[in-house]
Amino acid sequence: MSREIGHASFQRRIAIMVGAGYVPGINAVIMGAAIAAGRLGWEMVGIRDGFDGLLHPERYPEGGLLTLSPELVANLDPTAAGLLGQAPRVDPFHVRRVNEDDMVEEVDMSDQLLSRLQAEDIDALISVVGGRGLSILYKLHRKGLNAVCVPRSIENDIAATAVSFGFNTALSFTIEMLDRVRQAAQSARKIAVVEVLGEQSGWLALQAGIAVCADVVLIPEIPCDLQAVAARLHDKVTPRRPYGLVVVAEGAKLADDGKPQGKPSPLKASLSPLATGDASEHVIQRSGQAAEAVANGLQLLIAEETFPLVLGPWVRGGAPTAVDRQLALGYGAGAVRAVRDGKYGTMMAFVPPDIKFVPLAEAINKVRTVPADSEFMQIALSLGIFLGREL
Amino acid sequence: MKDQPIDPSGRNGTVLNIQRYCSHDGPGIRTTVFLKGCSLRCKWCGNPESIRKKPELSYDPRKCTGKKACGLCLKSPFPEGAFYVAEGDDDKVKVNWHLAMDCDEALASLCPTGALEMFGKQMTVDEVLDEVEKDSSFYRSSGGGITLSGGECLLQPDFSAALLAGAHQRGFNTAIETAGNVPWSFVEKVLPHVDTVLHDHKMTIPERHKKWVGVDNRRILENFKKAYETFPDADFIARTPLIPGINADEEHIRAVLAFIRPHKNVIDYELLPYHRFGLLKYELLGEVYQLDDYKTPSDEVVKHLQAIIDEAFGRSGQQAANVK
Repeated sequence: MSREIGHASFQRRIAIMVGAGYVPGINAVIMGAAIAAGRLGWEMVGIRDGFDGLLHPERYPEGGLLTLSPELVANLDPTAAGLLGQAPRVDPFHVRRVNEDDMVEEVDMSDQLLSRLQAEDIDALISVVGGRGLSILYKLHRKGLNAVCVPRSIENDIAATAVSFGFNTALSFTIEMLDRVRQAAQSARKIAVVEVLGEQSGWLALQAGIAVCADVVLIPEIPCDLQAVAARLHDKVTPRRPYGLVVVAEGAKLADDGKPQGKPSPLKASLSPLATGDASEHVIQRSGQAAEAVANGLQLLIAEETFPLVLGPWVRGGAPTAVDRQLALGYGAGAVRAVRDGKYGTMMAFVPPDIKFVPLAEAINKVRTVPADSEFMQIALSLGIFLGREL
Repeated sequence: MKDQPIDPSGRNGTVLNIQRYCSHDGPGIRTTVFLKGCSLRCKWCGNPESIRKKPELSYDPRKCTGKKACGLCLKSPFPEGAFYVAEGDDDKVKVNWHLAMDCDEALASLCPTGALEMFGKQMTVDEVLDEVEKDSSFYRSSGGGITLSGGECLLQPDFSAALLAGAHQRGFNTAIETAGNVPWSFVEKVLPHVDTVLHDHKMTIPERHKKWVGVDNRRILENFKKAYETFPDADFIARTPLIPGINADEEHIRAVLAFIRPHKNVIDYELLPYHRFGLLKYELLGEVYQLDDYKTPSDEVVKHLQAIIDEAFGRSGQQAANVK
């Protein structure tokens, strides 16, 4: 069957959607997928704002679906913000709405979603999602949706892939900012305690900390002993080097109570379908707690002055690095190949040296954390970086 | 308006909890019946387990004995992927709430340790009232009775009306706690059986109300005004959950006073300083609490706002202290 759109005739129609929150490189995924689909003679459409363009087309005077024509994607700036927009929530099983009686309720619109896709002649969906979205797409796939997922993560915490797109950009920006903070700490003769993203895994803190040769790096995987951190800083901060740099992942734990102060379990937070507000709000509101807790704790143990800083939300924006741009483009084009080969219920994964398709079941319910025997940890120790306790 | 006869037989509703010996939910010592289901989504909600209409799963990891000792929920008939044990973590089961949300009471009951439980169950009017009746001697001595709360008790209008009418038949004083965001027909059905209506004025500006609560307050205010006028024999007590940075300001308090003071059956206006007692319940439901960074209001702020209310109600000095 072919489908007539304007002067063009398409053999197949597939769609792409983007989950909640901006990650640098989204446009590159869209571009890669649209070009690859076009070369197969398929029409690619983008769903606006998560699933909203499909579930609530009435909200979009210009239509909830955007045809990603070769002309459009040829002019798409891979460094610009996401073309399709984002919705704060992308769970069709729990769509919050105000009903005809003006009462707030959550309804399951997964059946409508599948019907709408069918009505639009869309027979496969590429979803650019993070860890939370993978579970939703897994559930939709089990309900009959032909889904292929592209992993996106600032924290690089999605299991079954060595790298998610977005991480390299965040890492590069974090390193740049840490360099600047160190200069500020140097001139102020203080100890900077900088919180970076990483609620569940410490890749960003560890790799950035290595790059700038931080004095201390605290990650969620290693509950830290503040007394030991203070002792190490006491040794490193001298009259000849009167400053210090401590990098703290936002999910870092203190060893005394085994959990971050005032925070719920981060894994539960990441899996919550019924949070009373928007996921993006959650992250921004919570930022700063780890840096503040560590800076305040250290202040009581050492003579030097500490000051907390938070990089958190700023790292999420900006243009993708060259690495993320090519990875995202490759993931987009690869996802179309997965659709062509009928490899549904899968996620694109970078398994060096290749890009592969792994079953979604292998990617959900896991977090890619820094293993205890990671070479990165050994490298950090070799550079004299203290990781929160004696290892 | 007098009670209309209601036949309570066969009526049932979804009850979250029945709490005895309550002293802040109306006059005297009371038993508060919390009903499931709410039509608002207040970001500060202290009872997240009451929001959904249906009974829902909760998970308490402290009660879980882990995969080695049990591991029942990791296998069929539990949904695939809904429960798991994380690599390199402790042995305790974790929940993928996206996949576990649809578990029902039959599945939850298979958990031998009680780590999995349901919030809410179906009860008949008689079952609830028999439970409430256990403290009838306290009601008589203190002027107390039954209070329906939630969630939003008006979302189950037939059940609520039957409960309250039945309570009156048994000689109990009746009260409800409501936020008022329901069709008027629901209000009209329940209020003839209510002695005291504790009702929320959460925010004044409609757009801000929508931002923090989910819908604007126009219909709510219409309902309250109409209720004051339609049910002159009922006592109304206005309430505001006081949250610094959101509504703990003089402007809001004065706006509420301007709204309620023309109505003589609004006998008081209470401030409910924001608390964070609901945090654990969010964890049991796998949810994220959105107001984690908000603090409880200071005593000075509460006293200042309370003084404005006391002045509006013509109370001063010892008189005001007695009311509190």
